[in-house]
Amino acid sequence: MARSSDRVGSDFSREAALDELVNKRVVLITGKGGVGRSVMTAALAKLAAKRGRRVLVTEVGDEGDDYSPLARHWNRERLPKMPEALEPNIHGAVLLARTGQELFLKSVLRSGTLARAAVGSDALRRLLSAGPSFREMGVFFQLLTALREKTGTEPTHELILIDMPATGHTLSLTGLPELLLKLVPGGPIAAALKEGQGYLNDPKQAAAWIVTLPETLPVSECLELIDGLGKTKMPVGGLVVNRMPADPFTPAERAAMGPLIEQHAWLGRELFKKPLVAHRELARLRANTRLPMFVTPELPHEGLIAALATVLDGASPLPVPTGGG
Amino acid sequence: MSAIRVGELIRTKKVIVCCGAGGVGKTTTAAALSLAGARAGRRVLVLTIDPSRRLAETLGVSRNPPDPVRIPKERSDAAGITTGSLDAWMLDIKLVSDAAVRRLVKSEADAQRILTNRIYQQVSTMVAGMHEYTAMEALHRLVHAGTYDLVVLDTPPSRNALDFLEAPRRLSGLVDSRAISAFLPRSDGIVARAASRVIEKILGAVFGEEFAHEFVTFLSTFTSIFQSLNVDVSDMRRLLSGDDVAFLLVSSPAPAALTEASFFHDKTRELSLPFRAFVLNRSHANDAGRPMPTLPASAPEEVRTALPKLLSLAQLEQTAAVRDATLLGELRKRAGTGATAIALPDLPQGADDIATLITVADTLTAA
Repeated sequence: MARSSDRVGSDFSREAALDELVNKRVVLITGKGGVGRSVMTAALAKLAAKRGRRVLVTEVGDEGDDYSPLARHWNRERLPKMPEALEPNIHGAVLLARTGQELFLKSVLRSGTLARAAVGSDALRRLLSAGPSFREMGVFFQLLTALREKTGTEPTHELILIDMPATGHTLSLTGLPELLLKLVPGGPIAAALKEGQGYLNDPKQAAAWIVTLPETLPVSECLELIDGLGKTKMPVGGLVVNRMPADPFTPAERAAMGPLIEQHAWLGRELFKKPLVAHRELARLRANTRLPMFVTPELPHEGLIAALATVLDGASPLPVPTGGG
Repeated sequence: MSAIRVGELIRTKKVIVCCGAGGVGKTTTAAALSLAGARAGRRVLVLTIDPSRRLAETLGVSRNPPDPVRIPKERSDAAGITTGSLDAWMLDIKLVSDAAVRRLVKSEADAQRILTNRIYQQVSTMVAGMHEYTAMEALHRLVHAGTYDLVVLDTPPSRNALDFLEAPRRLSGLVDSRAISAFLPRSDGIVARAASRVIEKILGAVFGEEFAHEFVTFLSTFTSIFQSLNVDVSDMRRLLSGDDVAFLLVSSPAPAALTEASFFHDKTRELSLPFRAFVLNRSHANDAGRPMPTLPASAPEEVRTALPKLLSLAQLEQTAAVRDATLLGELRKRAGTGATAIALPDLPQGADDIATLITVADTLTAA
C-alpha cells in the first residue's frame, strides 16, 4: 500500500513547498464549498505556529454570521473583530467589511469629528454596505492593516492565513485592486489598493492555495479557479487534494472483483469504486497543472486538525486508511 | 409519519426554493426537482445564478442566455418529458441589468449612453447583493407572468443559506430614495443640505474629488434605473411566504453542513417562511437494505483474498447507512408536522448526465 509520503513526495519536494507556504506574509486558502477549506486553514495555522511563525488566522465574515466554521476549531463561536490570541503563536480575527471601512475612514479623515460623523452616518453606512465593491474594499483594508501592523520593527503577524469565501467571492476580492483602480485612479483608496497589490501580487509574499477533492466536479472547478486567479494576478502556490480514499486492493484483485461488483448490489460497492474515480481525477489534475500538490487522506472527524497537520508535515505515514483494515 | 411529501410539492407548488451551504449539491438537487416536475407534466423553469456551467451542459442549454431557454428536444425526449416542459435560465447579472435598462429607457441612444457609462459598467456587476437581487427580481417577474406552473430557484452560493433574502434589503437600502437623497445636490431643507455637505466632504476625502463628483452624478442619473429593479422587499416576502411556495434545505451529512441546516431552519421559522423539507444529500440512509458481499462458489484466488477487504468496506458502508438513517430520523423530528426530511444518494461521479439526473428526479418524486 502506498504511504502518503510516496504519493505526496513523488513530483515535488514537500519540505520546500511547506517552507514556501509558511514563509509568505499572506496565504489565501480557497476552493469550492464543502472541500474542507476551514479545516485545512486551521491545520496549516497549527503547522506554521509549530515552526515558530507568528500566525494570524482569519476568515471573511459578515455582520449577520451566526457561527464561524473556522472559530469552531478553537472552541469559539466566532472570531474576534480585532486580533486576539487563540493559542501560542496563533492570533485570530474575522475580516468584516464594516470594521475595515471604519479603520479606513479613520485613517483618511484625520479630523476626529468628521470620522465620527462618517462612521455614524446612516446614509453613508447604507452606501458602504451596498455600494460598488465597498464591502470587498473594507475587507481588503482590514487585511492591509493587519499586514502593516508592527511590534518594534518586526511584523506583528508574520503569516496571515485567510479562509476565503466561495469561489466567486474570492475572485471579486483578488480582482478588486485592478477593477477599482480603473474607477478611482487617485486618492487614498488608490494608495491603499496599490499598497495591497504590492503584497498580494508578489509571489514572494503571497499565495493562494486551493483545496479540492479527488472528484469530478471539484477538480473541474479547481482548474477553473487556477485560471481565474491567474487573471486577477493572484499567484497560486499549490493545491491540497483532500480526502483521498485509500485503495486496499491489488490490481489483480480489482480485475477479479470488478465484474462481481457490477452484478451485485452489495454493500461496499461504492467504496470499492471510489479510489478509481479518485485516481482518475488526481491524474486529470496532474495532467493540467504543474503546481505543487499535497494529497491528504480521508480522516476521522475526531482529532482531524492535528492529524492533518501531521500528514502535511510529513512526520507520519498515511494513517490507517478507511477500510484498509 | 409526516404528511408532507416531496413528490407532492413537485406536483403542486408554484415556487420551490433550494437553499443550502456551498458544496452540498444544491444545483443538482434543483435540476432534479425541475426535471421531476416536467416529467410529471408541468411547465417548469429552473432558475440559477450558479457560475458553474455543469448544469447548463447537462441540460444542453447555452451558458448565460439573456432569457429562459427551452432544453433541446432530444434532451427533453431523453428525459421522458411529454406533456410538460423544462426551461432553464442561468442568470447573467450584467445581461439582466442591461435588459432592465433597455426596458426602462425610451430610445436606443439613451440606452447606449447609459450602458457605456464607465461607472454603470462597473457598478452593474459590483454592487453588493446585485446577484441575489437580480435573482429575486427575475423570480418575481416570472412567477407573475404565469408562463410557468413551477419555478425552481437555486439560490446563490454563500456561507449563509439565507443571505439571498438579506442581500436585496441591502441593495434596496441603497436605492431607497431617502438614502440616495443624502448624496444628491438637490436635497431640500437646511438639515438635509448640511448633512449632504458633510457627506460630500467625506466622499471627496475618501475617493478624491473627481471620482466623488462623478459618483454623485451617477447616482442622481441612475436612481430611476435602480428603482425599476427595486422590487419592494415586503412584496417579495409576501410572495415567498405564500402557500404556493416551498423552501427546501439541502445538506450533506457533514457536521458543518448540518450545523448550517439547523441555523437555516431556525431562521425560516423566525421569518415565517414555508419551510417544507430537509434534503439530506450524499447520504447512505437508503443503503441499509443492500446485501453484504458473499463468496461465490469456485471463486478464483484473487476474489478470495479481496473478499475480506470488500467486507470491511461493506461494514463501513453499513455503519454510514445506520449513521445517515439516524441523521435522517433526527432531521424528520426537527422538521415537525409541516415538513419532512428525505435522503438522496452519494454520487461521487457527479450528476452530469441526464440518466443520473432522472434517477435523482425519480427518487424525489417517490419521496
